[in-house]
Amino acid sequence: MTGRPALEVSALPQHGFDTRAPLWWGNLFLLMIETTMFGILVATYFYLRQNFLLWPPPHTHISPFLLDPVPNLLIPTINLFVILLSCVPMFLVDKAARRGDKLVAQIGLLICIIFAVAAIILRWKEFWGIGFTWDENAYGSVMWFVLGMHMLHLMTGLGECVFLALWVFLRKFDEKHRLDITVLAVYWYWIAGVWIPLYAIIYFTPRWQ
Amino acid sequence: MTEKQKKSEKAFAPEVDERELHKLERTWEEPRGIMGFLMTTNHKTIAKRYIVTAFIFFLLGGMEAALMRLQLSRPGNNLLNPDLYNEIFSTHGTTMMFLFAVPIMEGIGLYFVPLMVGTRNVAFPRMNAFGYFIYLIGGLFLYTGFFLNVGPDAGWFAYVPLSGPEYSPGKRVDIWGQMITFTEIAALVGAVEIITTVFKQRVPGMSLNRIPLFVWTQVVTSFMIIFAMPAVMLASQMLPADRLISTHFFNPAEGGDALLWQHLFWFFGHPEVYIIFIPALGFISSIIATFTRRAVFGYTAMVLSLIATGFIGFGLWVHHMFATPLPQLGQSFFTGASMMISIPSGVQVFCWIATLWSGKIHMKTPLIFVLGFFAIFTIGGLSGVMLASVPLDLQVHDTYFVVAHFHYVLIGGAVFPLFGAIYYWFPKWTGKMLGERAGRWHFWLFFIGFNLTFFPMHWLGLKGMPRRVYTYLPEMGWSYGNLAASIGAGVMALAVLVFLVNVLKSLRVGEVAGDNPWGAETLEWSVSSPPPVYNFFYLPTVNGRNPLWSQMEETPVVVGLSTECREVLVTNILDAEPEHRYELPGPSIWPFLLALAVGETFTVGIFTPWGFPVGAALSTLALFGWFWSKPKSEGVRALEKPKTRSLDEARLSEEGA
Repeated sequence: MTGRPALEVSALPQHGFDTRAPLWWGNLFLLMIETTMFGILVATYFYLRQNFLLWPPPHTHISPFLLDPVPNLLIPTINLFVILLSCVPMFLVDKAARRGDKLVAQIGLLICIIFAVAAIILRWKEFWGIGFTWDENAYGSVMWFVLGMHMLHLMTGLGECVFLALWVFLRKFDEKHRLDITVLAVYWYWIAGVWIPLYAIIYFTPRWQ
Repeated sequence: MTEKQKKSEKAFAPEVDERELHKLERTWEEPRGIMGFLMTTNHKTIAKRYIVTAFIFFLLGGMEAALMRLQLSRPGNNLLNPDLYNEIFSTHGTTMMFLFAVPIMEGIGLYFVPLMVGTRNVAFPRMNAFGYFIYLIGGLFLYTGFFLNVGPDAGWFAYVPLSGPEYSPGKRVDIWGQMITFTEIAALVGAVEIITTVFKQRVPGMSLNRIPLFVWTQVVTSFMIIFAMPAVMLASQMLPADRLISTHFFNPAEGGDALLWQHLFWFFGHPEVYIIFIPALGFISSIIATFTRRAVFGYTAMVLSLIATGFIGFGLWVHHMFATPLPQLGQSFFTGASMMISIPSGVQVFCWIATLWSGKIHMKTPLIFVLGFFAIFTIGGLSGVMLASVPLDLQVHDTYFVVAHFHYVLIGGAVFPLFGAIYYWFPKWTGKMLGERAGRWHFWLFFIGFNLTFFPMHWLGLKGMPRRVYTYLPEMGWSYGNLAASIGAGVMALAVLVFLVNVLKSLRVGEVAGDNPWGAETLEWSVSSPPPVYNFFYLPTVNGRNPLWSQMEETPVVVGLSTECREVLVTNILDAEPEHRYELPGPSIWPFLLALAVGETFTVGIFTPWGFPVGAALSTLALFGWFWSKPKSEGVRALEKPKTRSLDEARLSEEGA
């Protein structure tokens, strides 16, 4: 061929899962960026908290007057479980994508979409359970920011689910998109995982002062 | 020519099958015309755009500097009014940091990392194209504002409350904030590209301990971008939010905090200095190895120092805030860290000195610039150690002493090596050598002009001249120092002019370079100048840290990648053993459209909140179009069942061949 010894690679597969896939790494670095971002947001939360004697601050601007307006726990807690539970169908979709089981992947993706929509609707209600709008004080600003940033990721995850479902239903269950599904699963687990400490921080730590 | 070089040239000239070559060329060809311009995904084309665009911003930033020096050349001057002066120094700093330094360093990385690790394109070519367009939009946005008299005027770090809604009404700071958003997206995209390419697309044989030092610097820089940029990503959303939708992050009246801005900004801003400086270390290592004809002394120590610099770089941010109320323990910690960072820098400098000492020195322009770096960076380092101590810092805070210091480290640490790198790699980019005589004129004019400009500023600072004043009174005794600095700025401008003439002349009538004019060691020199669009006909394999110096005829090449679709070889992260083949996407218009959609979001967003939902919808559409396209291999290889084969079998075929 060239007169030089050759390393023949034509028989290697065209795709690999997990650490073999460049896409998996690209997603990992994206998540490193986003995790750092949430870490700094948490630092911001505690930094601003130093400026307040009472956190959350007393609700004095408008009625009803509340001395200790801790955020409502019911809907956020339901949503936490919705988000965590959604990892189950995602896990099954992930496994199905690896096996090449199209039917399970299709059904699983639809269930994930339902979960994601539910989480976003509940999140919308969470905003109004804070008791402050973003422009009332720094507490309101940072709460809206944390919830909003996480909601953006929920929406991105939903978008990816919808896209991959469309591809699998309308086109085919090819190797490239099976890989995409497994990478989406990593992203999804991260969305759920990162919410556990964030939930604890914004909803529980104000009750412990 | 040495024996080694002869061998390497022979070893890298395998016989090439003309038909296959033609096919490969057609597969990787970029579309022409205006659509081609918008659609290209070739890393070399995009990297060249980064470099040229960033250099144009460098010239603009330089002109702003020249205007400031004209204004300050004599006391009581009224060439520029105070408001315009504010805009000009803010735009100068912003341009040099965000639109010049970071993009040009990443641009050079995006050009050479794939060539040095031996692959055909970066890992995510369309993202790469998107990154460039978003950077360009950011730069154009800032300068559109600047020319319409809405350029930023609160300094390049835009401290609140000055930059807040109360003291900076109007759109100036909003434009600054969104420009930050654009450039940081571009920087993050570039960082992910570079790390993934290095981790997954190295040629077989290039284990982690054989990666060229240049590539290591790019990896460390990219990781620093990943951990530093999110801080400013948040900050550059919070500030416009405070200004546009009345949040209170930085408003003390409602529990916000002005110092929060400083923490967020400098948590990014200090690593930023290293994000600019560390790639320059890579240029220096490449240049020194080539012009001393030996590998850089102490490879492992060099790599560990780079990584240490990357870590310690995150423990310094508060030394920008010594003049704010801080707990004493904090001051001590950040003083200690600021002094500690000189240790890994020192290790590297000593390794280079050892290399120069024991090598055979060829005194060409790139090396001269590196030697200039040593002189200037050392002075900058010394004033840095001084500033790291709190009592001295408090005395000279916000004076010209600080201005002198950071120009010594940034121009000395980044721009001198950058010019060296341009002289060094210009032959690879264009196929022509830059003029050597003009190069020496350029160096000496720049070196003398630089010292004449910035050395007197140490003295001006100690005499109490504050930064960012548009003029001063004759009684202050600052006139001679300022006049000297202004003359020096003129000499620097002349030096840059010599450089530009040199570039234009060399492009037309420069000496033809050939593949490896300097007899260098890394893989980019094994291909033609400029490199073919697919980089390598056969991907090489490597058997050491200095492939072109150690390569033998029996070093195998990689065969079996498709010439019908844009296929690259994916290898594992530690030892670069082949894992699978992988098709990269070809030209696409969607990255450009997505950049427009994101551009709409943040530019219209500062005028009406509707910019955000509309932008989100447009971006979703663009992303949908982007991902809905089918890969080319579907038609080409649909019938071919991929056979999985173990690595041992792959190795067997290597031995058998």
